[in-house]
Amino acid sequence: MAEKKKLRIQDLAKIREKTKALTTIRESEGRAKVTVHMGTCGIAAGAREVMEALLDEVRKNKVQDVIVATSGCAGLCNREPMATVEFKGQPPVKYVDLTPQKIKKIFAEHVLCGRLVPEYALAVGSETVY
Amino acid sequence: MITFRMNGLEVSAEEGWTILDAAKFYGLEIPTLCYYEGLTPYGGCRLCVVEIGEGTRAKLVSSCTYPVEEGLVVRTDTKRVIAARKMMIELMVSVAPGSKVLQDLASQFGVTQVRFEPRHEECILCGRCVRICAEQMDARAIGFQQRGYKTKISTPFDIRSETCRLCGACMYVCPACQLRCQGPQAETTLCNGCLTMDPTCLDYYDDLQCWMYDAGRCGTCVREKT
Amino acid sequence: MKQYRAHLLVCAGTGCVSCGSFKIKEALEKEIRKRKLQDEILVIATGCNGFCERGPILMVHPDGVFYQQLKVSDIPFLVEEHLVKGRPVKKLMYIPPAEKEPIPRMKDIEFFKHQRLIVLRNRGRIDPERIDEYIAFDGYEALAKALTEMTPEAIIAEITAAGLRGRGGAGFPTGKKWAAGRAAKGSPKYLICNGDEGDPGAFMDRSVLEADPHAILEGMIIGAKALGAEKGFIYIRNEYPLALHRMDIAIKQAREYGLLGDDILGTGFAFDVEVVRGAGAFVSGEETALIASVEGRIGMPRQRPPYPANKGLWGKPTVINNVETWATVPNIILRGAKWFSALGTKTSKGTKIFSLVGKINNTGLVEVPMGISLRDIVFGIGGGIPGGHEFKAVQIGGPSGGCIPAKLLDLPIDYESLTEAGAMMGSGGMIVMDDKTCMVDIAKYFLNFLRDESCGKCVSCREGTQRMWEIVKKITEGKGTEKDLDVLEEVARTCKDASLCGLGQTAANPVLTTLQYFRHEYEAHILDKRCPAGVCQALIRYVVVAEKCTGCQSCKNACPTQAIKGTLKDVHLIDQTKCIKCGACQEACRFEAIEAQREEAIQII
Repeated sequence: MAEKKKLRIQDLAKIREKTKALTTIRESEGRAKVTVHMGTCGIAAGAREVMEALLDEVRKNKVQDVIVATSGCAGLCNREPMATVEFKGQPPVKYVDLTPQKIKKIFAEHVLCGRLVPEYALAVGSETVY
Repeated sequence: MITFRMNGLEVSAEEGWTILDAAKFYGLEIPTLCYYEGLTPYGGCRLCVVEIGEGTRAKLVSSCTYPVEEGLVVRTDTKRVIAARKMMIELMVSVAPGSKVLQDLASQFGVTQVRFEPRHEECILCGRCVRICAEQMDARAIGFQQRGYKTKISTPFDIRSETCRLCGACMYVCPACQLRCQGPQAETTLCNGCLTMDPTCLDYYDDLQCWMYDAGRCGTCVREKT
Repeated sequence: MKQYRAHLLVCAGTGCVSCGSFKIKEALEKEIRKRKLQDEILVIATGCNGFCERGPILMVHPDGVFYQQLKVSDIPFLVEEHLVKGRPVKKLMYIPPAEKEPIPRMKDIEFFKHQRLIVLRNRGRIDPERIDEYIAFDGYEALAKALTEMTPEAIIAEITAAGLRGRGGAGFPTGKKWAAGRAAKGSPKYLICNGDEGDPGAFMDRSVLEADPHAILEGMIIGAKALGAEKGFIYIRNEYPLALHRMDIAIKQAREYGLLGDDILGTGFAFDVEVVRGAGAFVSGEETALIASVEGRIGMPRQRPPYPANKGLWGKPTVINNVETWATVPNIILRGAKWFSALGTKTSKGTKIFSLVGKINNTGLVEVPMGISLRDIVFGIGGGIPGGHEFKAVQIGGPSGGCIPAKLLDLPIDYESLTEAGAMMGSGGMIVMDDKTCMVDIAKYFLNFLRDESCGKCVSCREGTQRMWEIVKKITEGKGTEKDLDVLEEVARTCKDASLCGLGQTAANPVLTTLQYFRHEYEAHILDKRCPAGVCQALIRYVVVAEKCTGCQSCKNACPTQAIKGTLKDVHLIDQTKCIKCGACQEACRFEAIEAQREEAIQII
C-alpha cells in the first residue's frame, strides 16, 4: 500500500476523477450503457467471451463513465451473442452475431467515438429502460 | 453592579452573585437545604427555586446556582414556586421521615400530608458531605455512587478510605443526621407537632415560642419531651 | 481504480449485521470467486440502508435492484441468475404486504420513494471504511469551499440563513449557538459531537455514524473554522461498537490524507478530533453532563447559565451539537442556505431523520422534509399497522416526548406543532402503537426507564420519577385509586417545573400526554379493574366457558396453585383469588373452554 500523501484542494477533484466509476455504477450516471445479453442461449453462443472482451476494452481505455450490464435472453436466440448500446437520450442500437473482435470494434467506434457500426447492427430503436 | 427586579423591587447586586446571594442581602427568605455557606452551590434539593422571566417563558430555577443578570425578573413566592417547594418537602419527608430538619421544613411550609409510601432512609442526597469533604477538608474521601434512585454516598468501592481523616465534617453538615425528630406523633410519617396551635412549647413555657413561619425551630418538642 | 461491471452493496448496519449480513457478504464473495467473476464484480459492505424490517439487504448496481430478507442459501442461485444470466430474481425482491407483484427497484418502493435523503445521502451507497468513496460523491468539497472561499463569519451566516436547528432534540438554532461560541471570550475553544443517543427506539445517529462517519468529520472541521477551535471530541456511547470502529477508521484515514491535523488541505488551518466513549448513562446525552463526562467527572448536569457556548469544557467556550446536525452542515455549505431552507416549514427547515419502530409494517429509518404529516409517515412510508390492527398512538421524542393520538394524525411534523400537542420532536424516535398497546403500560415503561437513568442530583427528578413509577405500577396491578391520579398529576407537574435538566423537565411528558389523551384507559384500570388493551397481566381473568367445558379435569391438573375446582364431567370453576394468571389451564384445555377475559370484567358462570 503506497504511502498516502496529504491532500491539497486540487487532489480532491483528482480522486473524484479516479473514482468516477463509483458514481457511474451506483447512481446510473453513465453517458452510455452497453448491455450484453446473457441467458442460457447467449452463454451457449459465447456471450461470456464477448463480455470479457468488452470489459478488457473498458479497462484498457480506462473508461469510467460507461455502464456495462447484463440482461436475460433478448428473444432473438439464433442471432446470439447480442449486445445493446444505449446513449442517454438516443434510441438504443442492437448488435447481433457478436464475437470478441466485433465487440472490440463496436466499443472503439460506437461507444468511444459515437459512430454506429451498421454492418453489425440488427436494428436501431426498441423499448428502452435507460 | 447589576440591576434587576426581585419581587417587584428594583435591586442591584455585584457581578458574580447568585439570586440567593442577592435575596439574602435584601432580607428575602428563601428556604435552602443543600446550600451551605462556604461550599459551592449544588442545586439539588430544589427548595430554593424561584420563578424567573415572564409570561409563557417564565420558568423555575434554583436561586443558589443562578447568576444575577441585568434586567432579570425574579419572583420568590409565586404559586408555582410554593407548589414546587411543598412537593419537594413532601417527597423528601417520605424518604427520610426521621430527620428533624425535614419535619421542621414540613411544618414551616404547611405540608400536612405525605401521600407516598415512606422509605425510612437516612440520606436525602443533598451532597453537603461530599462537598465539604472535597472543598473544605480537601480529602475527597466520599462521593456519589451509582445513579438515580440507586444513588448512595460512600467511599470508592465501599472500602475503608485512606484519605479520610475522621474529621467528622460530613456528619456536622448533614441535615438528616441532625436531631432526630421525636415530636408528639413520631409514629406517623409526618410530625407537624408544632404546626398545630397546641404545640409542646405552650405546656412548658406557657408562651408560644414561634411565629407561624418559624414553626419547629425552637426544638422544645425534642428537649422537653421527657 | 479497478474496473468492475457490477457492484454488490451488502447492507452492514447493525440491524442487518445482527441478521447475518456479514455471512451473506462472505457467501457472495465465495460464490463469485467460484465462478471466477471476482475481477468483474465488486462486493462491499455499506452502512444502514434504512429498511431494517427487511434485512439482510443487498443492492445490485448498476441495475438498482433491491434484494431483501436474504439467506446464505439464496446466494448461489442469486449469483447464477442475476449476475451470470442477467435475470434478476423475483422471489428475493420486495413484495408489498397485500400485493403479489414484486418491486425490483429501490427507488420505486413506497418506503424509499417519499424520502428525501440529505444527511443520509450516502447510506447504502458507499463503503464507510474507504475515504475515497466518500470523496467520490462530493465528499470534502464543502470543506474545501469553507476553508478557501469563506470567512468564519460567512460560514455562520450561511448556517443561520439555512435555518438549521439542533437535531438532538431541543431544536436550538445552530447558527445562533455558533455565533455565541465565536463571540465568547476564552481559548482554546472546543467542539463536541454528541453521539450518546440514548432514547429507546432511536438509532438515527447510530446509522449516520456507521454509514457515513466522514460527513460528521467534515461538518466538524467546517464548524471548527467558524468557531476558531482547534480540538474536537466525538462522544459515542460504548454500546455502539460498530460506530466506534468505523469512526476510528474514518479518523485514521482522514489524518492520513491531511484532512485532520495541521495544515488541512494546505490552507494552514489546524484541527483534530478525539473519540470519547460513553459509559452507559442516558443522562450523559445532556450537554452539561456530557461535558462533565469528558472531563472525567460524574455525569451529572449543572444549571445553565453559564451556557457551554460561553463556559463549557474545562470552562472554555464549547459548541456541542448532535451527530445529525454536524452531518447536515457540509450539505448546507456545498449547496447553499437557500436550497436547504426551501425544504421544510417556515420555522423548521430542512429534513429530519426518524426511526420508525413499533407496531408498523416498514420498520426502519426514514429521512423526510419537515412538515410532512404523521399520517404520511405512518401509513405512507410506514406501510400501516400489521395484523389488521388499528392505529392508536405514536410516541415521538422518546421518553422525553409524548404520545400523539389518532385524532392528531394530520399534524405536520415540525418543532412547534409537536410541542403544542404536548410531545416533542426529540431526537426523532417514533414508536407506533396499536389497539393492543396499553397506554398505562407505556407510561410505566418510560417511567421505569427514566427513574433508572435519572442522575439522582435533584429531588424533583430522582424522587419524582420513582414515585410516579410506583403509582403507575400500582394502577397496572389493579390497585390504583382515583386519588392516585390526582397525586400523579401533581408530581408530574412539579417534576416538569422544578427539575434541573432536560431529563427531569420532560420526564413527565409520557404521563401527562397519556393522561391528556387516554385518561379513559387509566380510569378503566382504576374503576373497572380492567385493561382495555389486554396487556396488564394482573387484570386478566381466566374463566371457564360453561358451554364448552366437558369436565375433563385437564385444567385442574395443570393448575400450579390448585385454583380450579370441579368434579369429573361437571363444569369447572376457577377461583380468582388463587389464580396467578399463568395460563397453564388454557394451554391444557383441548376444548377451548378457557378464556383469558381481557376486555370484559364480567365473569361467566
